[in-house]
Amino acid sequence: MTIVTDSEHGHKNITRRRFLAAATSAVGAVVAGMVAVPLVDSLEPTAAAEAASSTTVDLTPIEPGMQVTVPWQKKPVIIINRTPEMLATLKETMQKGILKDPLCKVPQQPPYCTNMYRSRVPEWYVGIRICNHLCCIPHYRPKKGSVAPWWLGGFHCPCHGSMYDLSARVIQGSPAPHNMAVPEYELSTEKMSATITHMYPKAHLC
Amino acid sequence: MSTYRYLCFLLVSMLIPGIAWGAENTVHWMTPHYTFNRTTVIAGARYFADHCMACHSVSSLRYEYLRADLGMTKKEVEEDIMLPNGAAWKGQIVSPMPPDMAAKWLGKPPPNLSHMDRYLGSKFIYTYLLSFYWDPARPSGWNNYVFPMVAMPNILAPWGGTVGPKGQVIFPGRLSPAEYHKNVADVVAFLRYASDPSYFTRMAIGPYVIGIMVLFTILAYFLKAAYWIDLKKKRK
Amino acid sequence: MSRFSAWVNKRLPVDETIREHMTEYFAPRNFNILYYAGSLLLLMIVLQLISGFFLMAHYVPTSQDAFASVQGIMYDTKWGWLIRYMHVDGVSLIFILLYTHMFRGLLYGSHRAPRELVWVIGYVIYLLMMAEAFVGYVLPFGNLSYWAGEVITSIMHALPVVGPSLTTLTRGGPGIGSATLQRFLALHVVLFFLIILAAIALHIVALHRVGSNNPDGIDIKKHKGPDGKPLDGVPFHPYYTVKDLFGVGVWLTIFVSVIFYAPTMHGVFMERTTFLAANPMVSLPDVTPPWYLSPYYAMLRAVPNKYYGIAIMITSVLLPLLLPWLDRNPVRSSRYRPVYRIMLIVAGISFIILAWIGQEPPLPKYFLIERVATALYLGFYLLLPFVSMIEPTRPVPERVTG
Ligand code: HEM
Ligand code: FES
Repeated sequence: MTIVTDSEHGHKNITRRRFLAAATSAVGAVVAGMVAVPLVDSLEPTAAAEAASSTTVDLTPIEPGMQVTVPWQKKPVIIINRTPEMLATLKETMQKGILKDPLCKVPQQPPYCTNMYRSRVPEWYVGIRICNHLCCIPHYRPKKGSVAPWWLGGFHCPCHGSMYDLSARVIQGSPAPHNMAVPEYELSTEKMSATITHMYPKAHLC
Repeated sequence: MSTYRYLCFLLVSMLIPGIAWGAENTVHWMTPHYTFNRTTVIAGARYFADHCMACHSVSSLRYEYLRADLGMTKKEVEEDIMLPNGAAWKGQIVSPMPPDMAAKWLGKPPPNLSHMDRYLGSKFIYTYLLSFYWDPARPSGWNNYVFPMVAMPNILAPWGGTVGPKGQVIFPGRLSPAEYHKNVADVVAFLRYASDPSYFTRMAIGPYVIGIMVLFTILAYFLKAAYWIDLKKKRK
Repeated sequence: MSRFSAWVNKRLPVDETIREHMTEYFAPRNFNILYYAGSLLLLMIVLQLISGFFLMAHYVPTSQDAFASVQGIMYDTKWGWLIRYMHVDGVSLIFILLYTHMFRGLLYGSHRAPRELVWVIGYVIYLLMMAEAFVGYVLPFGNLSYWAGEVITSIMHALPVVGPSLTTLTRGGPGIGSATLQRFLALHVVLFFLIILAAIALHIVALHRVGSNNPDGIDIKKHKGPDGKPLDGVPFHPYYTVKDLFGVGVWLTIFVSVIFYAPTMHGVFMERTTFLAANPMVSLPDVTPPWYLSPYYAMLRAVPNKYYGIAIMITSVLLPLLLPWLDRNPVRSSRYRPVYRIMLIVAGISFIILAWIGQEPPLPKYFLIERVATALYLGFYLLLPFVSMIEPTRPVPERVTG
């Protein structure tokens, strides 16, 4: 059969076809998007993974001056029980003016940890033990003078030599740009337990 | 689903050979009268937490889903549903009873009820819960018309009352039959939600999804018509 | 654009393929509603691939974790229920389309010369889809999965000579377990699925070689216009593309309605025994296959002898392959063959009755119906060679009608 060509229909039908084709494609694209969004969403961590993602640590065995490092979401988290002397060094580093971000203005920690202790409870430091430079695990060097004569205690990274104080605030001259990240956590000194729940979203790990 | 099938299931699943019962024609399946909505499900969840969760888990559900799906507040869930045993907000709804202990106390571990409603159906669960009778020959003192030799005791007896094997009331319950049946129907509603948790989400977005598909279909229909008009013209 | 397309076309026959299979593929203008099924099957296969991919991102193929991982998809994965219902309900909708598509072929004689290969390849796709569906519903490892796996692999056991070793090979051990799940997953997503895709491609190439049939069962190439184009044909694109697009709209509306409002279709699309974890100690209350396989299962049960039963079942599964040669009448479409039409409808109804009985418990009260329906269904194939030679036919029109 011979099909009537477009020109024989006149202009009206052609615009009608174009309009309908555009409208159908537009709605079709919405439908495709409507399917795509939940599909991609399904690849997010599941509720089971999220439930399994928090870690609770018993603080009783950590004596003053001691630390433990526990795995949390495949990352090392250090918990330090800081003595009054150790806490005093935090003021000292600030007075010496050797810190890059002494007031913790960069949100490397949740708001409730934006203080010089970078913690909920001054004695207890809870932080991710990953160097802000290129993701190595820094050594914990609490002893004065152990890294340099002026050393007051803190972290020293074996990879490119980044230095941090006992609140994991980065010391000037280090290649690392920011303080080490602090995750979101709950801590109770009554129950003597800390529960690390999730990453603080604004913090930059490394 | 025929009575016959349920009885077959019961026979095999209990793995107790050689019991004969003539119940096939005497079981009278009851339909729970409830409207299936968030209110009844929440009421059922509360009732379930009070009376059933001591033994039964619904481990496919997590506490936080009761907020996400049903609109309960976190505080309500923590106070009314979560057991004071250190259950986690994101954790699964599990009974505190250790399974081996349960097997020792009851003869067999109480089943997880996550999928029970889809497996057995609301009618079965409702009728089952209302079919306990006093039977001193059983270790627990309880027997059931639709689940003979049942291991579960009639934990709802204080509310629903105690009946004997022939249906005679031995002790009346604290609740009127109507109130009591409503509570049981709520529990059935909760179990239905537990086995089909996407229900409320589906009902909420379903109309929009269908709406856009209908819109697409209508546009495609006119597009098709705008082309096929060629053939109509030809045939004249 | 044109320089780019010239560059590509010199190296890849894009325009030529589009011309050959779309803009200059002439399809009869009188396709009816039954002709939507083919393009919808293509769509559904793609949707199965997509939903399957996202299911596999969460599925764990071990006897320990398979059931829990699937329940994790339903409860803990964002939109997991949508993806699983898409995949599970998709299967039932595909079989509805497959049966419509095949019945359409038989109604209009599309399986007859010169389209024998289109039919045979199509039927092989159907057989592969049954195998694909079977390995698929073992994967979630509900109690239905377990016992379906057990029963079907023991049917294999009855095969002469190779039976026992084939069964062990399929199961990967003495029973259904992790080894079975892992090889079934490999079959489901790799081997069977790729063969199905290849067979679909062959199916369409074979069809386009000879051209589509139509409800009148007559050859549109007999009457060509001065330009050499069939008078009763229209270019597939744009006419059938826009028409199929409308079909897609209607079909997807049905599909989403099922997913959102009746995802288990009252236990027909998703049997209730899939909600119980696999348990080798607890047999099912009723071992029945999904609805789309149950006609063959009913035929198996209709025969009171294990080996003859299996033989009848296998025969009825394979007989349709021979249909192009069983039919001897020169007229294709049942529109002009009243006797053939009645036989076909009787066979179709018997098939549906068998599908229903296959879902019922094996009670003696069904034996009679079961046997009569089996006889009527198989009778269609056995009588066809003779009836088709002597049956009266109506005059066939020269040009397509309607
Ligand atoms: C997933 C599986 C299948 C897909 C994707 C598929 C796809 C198609 C498509 C796109 C067409 C052309 C459009 C149409 O005529 O409807 C077609 C035609 C056809 N198919 Fe299939 N098909 C499948 C399975 C089958 C099966 C199982 C059979 C039969 C046993 C079959 C037999 C035929 C026949 C005979 C035709 C030609 C119809 C005619 O020209 O009248 N197909 N198929
Ligand atoms: S990674 Fe720690 S200093 Fe480079």
